[in-house]
Amino acid sequence: MNIGFTMMNHLKKRLTSLLVTLVALTSATFANAAPVPATGWGLPRDVSVDGHKIDWLINATTFFITILFVIMCIWMAAAVVKHGKDHQAEYDHGDSGHHVAFAMAISAVIFLVVDGNLWFNSTIDVNTTFWNYTEAEKHPEAVRIEINAHQWAWDARYAGPDGKFNTADDIVTLNDIRVPVGVPILFQLASTDVIHSFSLPNLRIKQDAMPGMINRMWTTAKETGEFDIACTQHCGTHHYKMKGLLTILKMDEYKSWSDKMSRIHARGYDPKDQAAKWGWAWKKADTNDDGISVEGKPKSAALAPERSQSVSLAPEARN
Amino acid sequence: MQGVMTPADIEAAQHLQHIHETPKSFVKHYVFSIDHKYIAKQFLWAGLLFLFFGGMLAMLIRWQWAYPGEAVPVVGNLLFPDTQGAITPPTYNTIFTTHGLIMIFFAITPIMIGCFGNFCIPLMIGARDMAFPWLNLLSFWIFALSQALVLASFCVELGSAAAGWTTYPPLASQVGTPGLGQSLMVLALFVTGVSTIMGAINYITTVIRFRAPGMTWFRMPGTVWGLWLTSILNALFVPVLGSAGLMLLFDRHFGTQFFLTGAAGGTGDPILFQHLFWIFGHPEVYILILPIWGFVIDFMSFFARKPAYWFRGSIYAMITVTVLSAVVYGHHMFVTGMSPLLGQAFMLLTLVISVPAEILFLNWLHTIWKGSIRLTVPMLFGLGTIFVFGLGGLTGIYLGTISTDLYLHDTMFVVGHFHLTMASAAFLGSFGALYLWFPKMYGRLMNPFLGKVHFWFSTVGLTLVFGFQMLAGYAGQQRRLYDPFQYSYLEGLQDLNRFTTYCAFALAIGQLAFVYNFFYSLFAGKRASQNPWELGTIEWTDCASPPVHHNFDRIPVVYRGPHEYNHPEVLEKLGRDWIGQTEEFDPAADAATSDEVAATA
Repeated sequence: MNIGFTMMNHLKKRLTSLLVTLVALTSATFANAAPVPATGWGLPRDVSVDGHKIDWLINATTFFITILFVIMCIWMAAAVVKHGKDHQAEYDHGDSGHHVAFAMAISAVIFLVVDGNLWFNSTIDVNTTFWNYTEAEKHPEAVRIEINAHQWAWDARYAGPDGKFNTADDIVTLNDIRVPVGVPILFQLASTDVIHSFSLPNLRIKQDAMPGMINRMWTTAKETGEFDIACTQHCGTHHYKMKGLLTILKMDEYKSWSDKMSRIHARGYDPKDQAAKWGWAWKKADTNDDGISVEGKPKSAALAPERSQSVSLAPEARN
Repeated sequence: MQGVMTPADIEAAQHLQHIHETPKSFVKHYVFSIDHKYIAKQFLWAGLLFLFFGGMLAMLIRWQWAYPGEAVPVVGNLLFPDTQGAITPPTYNTIFTTHGLIMIFFAITPIMIGCFGNFCIPLMIGARDMAFPWLNLLSFWIFALSQALVLASFCVELGSAAAGWTTYPPLASQVGTPGLGQSLMVLALFVTGVSTIMGAINYITTVIRFRAPGMTWFRMPGTVWGLWLTSILNALFVPVLGSAGLMLLFDRHFGTQFFLTGAAGGTGDPILFQHLFWIFGHPEVYILILPIWGFVIDFMSFFARKPAYWFRGSIYAMITVTVLSAVVYGHHMFVTGMSPLLGQAFMLLTLVISVPAEILFLNWLHTIWKGSIRLTVPMLFGLGTIFVFGLGGLTGIYLGTISTDLYLHDTMFVVGHFHLTMASAAFLGSFGALYLWFPKMYGRLMNPFLGKVHFWFSTVGLTLVFGFQMLAGYAGQQRRLYDPFQYSYLEGLQDLNRFTTYCAFALAIGQLAFVYNFFYSLFAGKRASQNPWELGTIEWTDCASPPVHHNFDRIPVVYRGPHEYNHPEVLEKLGRDWIGQTEEFDPAADAATSDEVAATA
């Protein structure tokens, strides 16, 4: 029964060199087939006013953890090289007072520096920026957009000149969201069917669109251009095609576009078409998190309109 | 109870556990066995089979990301004849969904907890069997039933589950994912949950009640600690998953609307499901890592021939993580519209977990420092586990922090991160354990050279595959995309995705070294001696390889901790660098130690 292993021992050296050659050859073949990626690496271009805060935090953390990881690897490698089987092991349980104090101190320092930095900056950024809807709502020129997600597209609704949703001058678009540069863009998100997630990678922000609930998100763009809107929550067969286009325009371009669109939509408005009124009364920033508007229940539901009586975003539906 | 031992205590322990007769009939021995060692092997085989299944599904996913929609080479025509070998979007959804569920619940869990929990716990604490051997038998056969349900889900119309492993409704409702396959998969999860809870109750009870005389809590090896803490989490949180699954089944088939709203009808709350799922789901990632931490604590000491550094600290750290794991789950839901205050509380609690994790890392590194390291196959796998878990653990903190998660959430960064922690670390740790305990299980040695080939392919492969996936996520690639290159900002990642796929194929090919080694050694490996690794834990010092049916003729008496290597007096008097936990050596000193332990425990 040992024949196999004895043979194996004889073949070991030959096998090793064969294996090394094989690995080298295969890697070379693979390297040829897949040339070093030249584009697309790293964070996508940041076109938001506040995205740099996230990028900075990511990069600072990468810096810290790279140091920690490298120390760990050097430590392991040095131990394996220096303290191999010829080294006499030291009999030490490592539970003396100064050992314990040392381990606790190192852990505390790492925690305070790396995690502390993350916690401190993230808490500030979340409260002053990313989840601070109250401040964003105060801006006189803020643009408000309602998004209704459904398999597999994004409906967008702008209030139009009257500032009210679900009226004749609303602009309604599909997978085409245009916003001006330099002012807060406030989104409110809902979904008709399943959970989607509205993601703007170039603005570093995303938020789930949930059936039965209105979620909020806001951002400010600093550059013009065309960017992808992505769905980041698995939402069924064509999840991968749930792509929209975000066009960031100069303020005057945006104004002329929205004026024109508003007129066009007003001409085509049919007051009897309930299906077209999927929007809701804008949820104020100081409302609670249950989608309950301070002004009372939303006028309509972002759901199949024929169901809007039984299935609504209204508070009673959620309580 | 085991601090100071009187002869009466030791005698009483002999009668606490019966000696079961060795079964004579084929069925009782090989099919419906109540022997924990045989049940362990059953779990091992069942798990390895599904590991292969889940791994092949992973290869299909990788192919799809490298060459979206192109015919799968070699096996394509066989698997997908209707499309000339190409994967369609619905098939793709089934593949990634079932890959996740199979790997977590039907491959890693049975191997790590089912196999090593069953095999190691009684042997390492000096017990003749589990506390409830019949419950143990039931636990395996219920698990086998759940695996059968998984297989059945592939055979029904519209195929198996496709709503993602997280199974979020309303997508997981009949409207979002019609067909019996999704229901069968959810049912399989419920059934496997029943099996897991049975196992957990058994492990918890066995450790509390059946420790040999002298086996105090802190004389238990790290392995037993890890498996025991995992069992506590299983017993507490798997029922939550079970209830969520049952409610989902009711929503799918019996007209309830717990989670349904919107187009799926109803006035339920999809968020409720996410809370239930993640109350279970976050402890689950620790369920899958605590036993591995235990293995690593032991392996580092075993093969650095040095006591585990600040062993108590490591155990306290593991207990702390066990407790904290229950209160951090909200970081999976930062972008669901969670209350900002709640989100910030979850962020802080999540970051706090890095403290015990750092202590564990420091203790592992200190254990091998100034040791006398033997680079055996289990040791290599242990070091590999520290490496991948270090990478995966460190990258987790971006995701526990709200603002960085706003960008990284649901990208490939998350996928890379959790595959490095709960997949790669669990994979390497479990295989390390298999290489270590194989001689004890089957009485034969595995080939170390092939083991090392397997190690290098696995560790380098896993690191590259999931490291590159994190890079793709950093560049913004979302997870679960049939064709990522539909997005213009991801077009440049095609080469990266292809290269990752080649790495994944190499990783898969490297597993052949294990398959050959496993089967060859099983039937023709060199006979193992009782203690081939020269270790001091009970299964090596007091049991034959393989152990007899009732493990111990006499329940052993334990005198010391599990990590006594290179003790100066032992070196001097016995001329070897190890001493067994049950070896009587300088009884006066031993008695003094047990008094000390009794006083502090």
